[in-house]
Amino acid sequence: MINTQNAADRTITIDRTFNAPPETVWALWSNPEHLKNWWGPNGFTNTFESFDFRPGGDWRFVMHGPDGKDYANLNRFVEIEAPTRLVIDHLVFPLFRLIVTFEAFDGKTRMLFQQVFDSIETLNTVKPFAIPGGQQTFDRFANYLAEHSA
Amino acid sequence: MPDQLNYAFSALADPTRRAILARLANGDASVSQLTEPFAITMPAITKHLKVLERAGLISRTRLAQSRPCHLEPAGFKAIADWLEFYRNFWDQSFDRMDSYLKTLQRPTKGRKKK
Repeated sequence: MINTQNAADRTITIDRTFNAPPETVWALWSNPEHLKNWWGPNGFTNTFESFDFRPGGDWRFVMHGPDGKDYANLNRFVEIEAPTRLVIDHLVFPLFRLIVTFEAFDGKTRMLFQQVFDSIETLNTVKPFAIPGGQQTFDRFANYLAEHSA
Repeated sequence: MPDQLNYAFSALADPTRRAILARLANGDASVSQLTEPFAITMPAITKHLKVLERAGLISRTRLAQSRPCHLEPAGFKAIADWLEFYRNFWDQSFDRMDSYLKTLQRPTKGRKKK
């Protein structure tokens, strides 16, 4: 079980607004025919082997990278509350939980996305010097270790 | 997930190993110097060092008898890059989601848009 308590420092948070009502945005997550068309970075395609969209249901799929490499994935749906909240566990390394909430406003949808990593200690250690644009990774790491290992 | 990162993450999961890294952040040290502050034996420290070395987080010189350990910045850079990988993963996914949404919303023939 992935612990999501006190997770701020091992979480990637993304806040996005889509120009469609929550029901429409929800369908892009809940319908595999839609989901497979956008999941993954540029150049990736997906083959879904199973998509059991209910709490406890598994979603097995292979991501095909632009470099020709295949990445096998196993996700499990944890919470499904259409069209407001979706929780998915990623069950192959690295373990993480995705928490996605959808909020209607002004005919649009604000989607708040969180990726919570499971490796508590690890990500606590790594996150502070992995801020985008940070070039002094090593110095900051050294300082961080010095502060947290006393 | 490359093996190297896998090793790095498991290496960092241990508090003793993080403490060793913190000590090395202040400068290179031999096994006996590293053993001093910890309530564990030298063989135990050596075992931790092997894990850190395999993870690419430290290296040990073969030039001196004491084989001092030092931090390897490249190993840490790989971990930071990996988190950056995930941020890009989602940013790009949601960009694609947005474009895909627009193609779905494209008005069909004969249907007037207000």
